Amino acid sequence: MSSSDIKAAYDPSASGRRVGSDFKRKDLTTLAVFALITFTMPLWFPLIGGYSGLDTKILIWAIFAVGFDLLLGYTGYLSFGHAAFFGISAYITGLMLLHVSDNIIPAMIASLIVTLIMALIIGLLTLKRTGIYFSILTLAFGEMFHSLAVSTLQDWTGGDNGLTGVPTPMLFGLKMQNLTMFYFVAVLAIIMFYIARRIGRSPFGLMMKAIKSNQTRLEYTGINVLRYKLSAFVISAIYAGLAGSLMVIYEPYVASEFLSWQESGRVVIMTVMGGVGTLVGPMFGAFFMLYFENVVSVLLQEQWLLVLGLMFMAIVIFLPGGFADGAKRLWNRVSRQGDN
Amino acid sequence: MSILEVSQVNKNFGGLAALHNVNFSVDEGSIHSLIGPNGAGKSTLLNVLVGLLKPDGGSVEFDGKSLLGKTPHDINQLGVARVFQTPQVFPDLTLLENIAISGYADRDGGFKFNLFETADTAKPVINNAKRVLEEVGLIEQQKAEARHLSRGDKRRLELGICLAHEPRLLLLDEPTAGMARHETETTIDLLRNISAKTKMTMVIVEHDMSVVFALSETISVLAQGRIIAEGKPEDVKGDPKVKEAYLGEEQE
Amino acid sequence: MNQIFLQVLTGLQLGAIFVLIALGLTLIFGTLGVVNFAHGALFMLGAYIAVILAGKLGFVTAILVVPLALFAIGLLMERGLVKHFYDRPHTDQILVTFGLAIVVQEALKWYFGANNIPFAEPAWGTGQTIFYGTGVTVPDPIPGLRIYMPFIEGFVFYPKWRLILILVSMSTVAGLFVLLQFTRFGLVVRAGMRDSEMLRFLGINISKRFAVVFGLGSAIAGIAGVFGGPVTQVDPAVGMSMLVPSFLVVVIGGMGSLPGAVLASIMIGMAMAFSVNVAWLSQIVVYLVAVAVLLIRPRGLLGQKGLME
Ligand SMILES: Nc1ncnc2c1ncn2[C@@H]1O[C@H](COP(=O)(O)OP(=O)(O)OP(=O)(O)O)[C@@H](O)[C@H]1O
Ligand SMILES: [Mg+2]
Repeated sequence: MSSSDIKAAYDPSASGRRVGSDFKRKDLTTLAVFALITFTMPLWFPLIGGYSGLDTKILIWAIFAVGFDLLLGYTGYLSFGHAAFFGISAYITGLMLLHVSDNIIPAMIASLIVTLIMALIIGLLTLKRTGIYFSILTLAFGEMFHSLAVSTLQDWTGGDNGLTGVPTPMLFGLKMQNLTMFYFVAVLAIIMFYIARRIGRSPFGLMMKAIKSNQTRLEYTGINVLRYKLSAFVISAIYAGLAGSLMVIYEPYVASEFLSWQESGRVVIMTVMGGVGTLVGPMFGAFFMLYFENVVSVLLQEQWLLVLGLMFMAIVIFLPGGFADGAKRLWNRVSRQGDN
Repeated sequence: MSILEVSQVNKNFGGLAALHNVNFSVDEGSIHSLIGPNGAGKSTLLNVLVGLLKPDGGSVEFDGKSLLGKTPHDINQLGVARVFQTPQVFPDLTLLENIAISGYADRDGGFKFNLFETADTAKPVINNAKRVLEEVGLIEQQKAEARHLSRGDKRRLELGICLAHEPRLLLLDEPTAGMARHETETTIDLLRNISAKTKMTMVIVEHDMSVVFALSETISVLAQGRIIAEGKPEDVKGDPKVKEAYLGEEQE
Repeated sequence: MNQIFLQVLTGLQLGAIFVLIALGLTLIFGTLGVVNFAHGALFMLGAYIAVILAGKLGFVTAILVVPLALFAIGLLMERGLVKHFYDRPHTDQILVTFGLAIVVQEALKWYFGANNIPFAEPAWGTGQTIFYGTGVTVPDPIPGLRIYMPFIEGFVFYPKWRLILILVSMSTVAGLFVLLQFTRFGLVVRAGMRDSEMLRFLGINISKRFAVVFGLGSAIAGIAGVFGGPVTQVDPAVGMSMLVPSFLVVVIGGMGSLPGAVLASIMIGMAMAFSVNVAWLSQIVVYLVAVAVLLIRPRGLLGQKGLME
């Protein structure tokens, strides 16, 4: 094979992998840029029409989306039931704040533990077979928890009305509101983003990508595929659980919709539109969707979801790599023109 | 000393006896070919060995340990690797990553959660992966994605994936199918070198008799689920039963 | 006894709608390998078209037109959208049909509003059926169809339309089985469900036939829309709320198995009907049945080994 063949065979758009010692620095640079954008959000976000509080919500969803991308983008498993983890965790947080203590730490810890257990159970039931099966079953399990919350457990959850009367969440005497809450979420978002990146680039992340690429080969290469799948699923569930818990701290109320398939659908849409497997893309997807829903929707009124649905379909059909891929293509085109 | 001991293995698909009382034993360090007409049950036997299929009866022992009931990844970790009849690689990953996965499986076992290492830069694993790529002649394309490879190259990559794990028993299901003549010869040389250097035991399923005779010390002939002949290449060549098995197929 | 009888009927009636949606799902999955997340939306479209046609041109017209319309929509959907996804990963197929489901739902919401549109059954389908037991005379002034059932004590009422729904569903199932069992088209489809690689290999043009399969699946969903619409809701959320139990039917029955889908929908219908008085159970019984089946028999009741593993 001649060297030009090799260049042709090497697809630059799928790269982004770097071998070498400059990696650590690059990793930190990305993180610093991300932190800068995040921390200054209260300054620039109102300039583009965002209201205060929406920025917090965006970051919460960004955490949800980046964790979801670890599952979808890396292992290729498409869950339609992640609202279960988001919602269960939200309810546990709400109940803990209401009945145990208004301190958020025990509430968050309890939420994450319950999420973890739930993810293990659901994962074992759904991950043994193919991805199609998984998508269907996660959708069903999600709906099961929704039904549970609005019917069977309504004495605890408040049924359709949701869980109300949750006191203002506190962190050791600090009211978790407004900017305090924003920075609390921002710090967590940066940490979770960093962890996701580390996972993505570690051998563990490589195994997850291998699951997406060819499970059979992986199993016959001595890898316990089910354990990797289960771990990836649990990790992404924890991200969802953290987001759910934060959502209740942000707004001390648990809506039963937190458990609905629409909520699962939202994180799917964000992740796919942002760019599956890129981690940054889905976080931008979260920003885009909430911005669209809350700011742009003023122009579109009730039809914003219709427009969003059409955009989503267009992206799946024509730009499966999402915004991240679109940006990359655009960048390549611009820089090529710059060369000439 | 035999490293693999298959005895009285049966496997039925519905009414079809794909394997019937198969006894099959492979000497450590040898290259052992398994031949037979299409549909004889060769792949089925390999499937039983690697844990893909559960036999209906009989025993399979590798290095004195039973393989029955073990998961495919456990069997692989014990040192049994397989090259599939249709090449199985990781099409979306680079060649280097393809091999590195096997390196990590070798180093870390079936599962490890470790955030503080970067997959692309872990020195011993990556260096070893490069060495293996060199060995199978794919080092120049190390950064290409495996999907771009030709069928023959995919097979060599898959061989590389298996080698990176340094298996004690390597099962190859038609390793030269889809390869051009000169590629076939390179592969024969490669397998012969590996066998000479590492004393790795190999079981080769092959239709190409030139490959079989160039490599094997022992040949077993499978037809309609039964071992009908076994021995040195010369002996098997002259065996009338073997001729009949192959001719019988052609008459169909 | 009477109570049980009525619950059995209710179970059958619930199963009757599920099976009509699930048959299309499993047919399309079995032959084309596509999981259609917009299948509930197709059912919903059927119900909306039916409610409008029934209002304007009468219910009989709706019965005749809706399945045909849905057949055309299905064909269009396959040729225009799904076809281009056969070579793409399953996740993409799921995503695009999911997107379509949202678009259909939101478009309907935009045009018709979010509220339920009342969908009355036709005059000839209203009223009650009266089942009566041995030695019972139903007083003459009570209107309705009378059916003798030896084990009934006294007499019980059951809405006539629901009975019709059960019968229509049963005939549709029977019709589909005849079609698949006794026609050349059916032969190819069945072969395709077993091994579509092989058919392609043999050079049988399955692509066009598969488009027809897709149309057929959505036509059956259309039948569910016309006959089921008056029993369920006609609102933009009904598509998704019917999709989930139908998926479970497909999974419980074994993906790609038509008899499995029939069996599973009866099972789910019965489970729902018999738990209706147990408040904590009735909303989640479907899922519990699914979990139980999956634990005991992971590939579903009549699922083939090897498929989807
Ligand atoms: N999973 C299966 N289910 C049913 N029958 C099977 C299965 N796998 C193999 N068979 C049948 O078992 C017999 C042996 O098949 P096998 O693939 O082992 O043959 P082979 O010797 O590898 O042939 P080839 O040289 O063509 O690869 C064949 O008749 C085949 O059709
Ligand atoms: Mg074979």
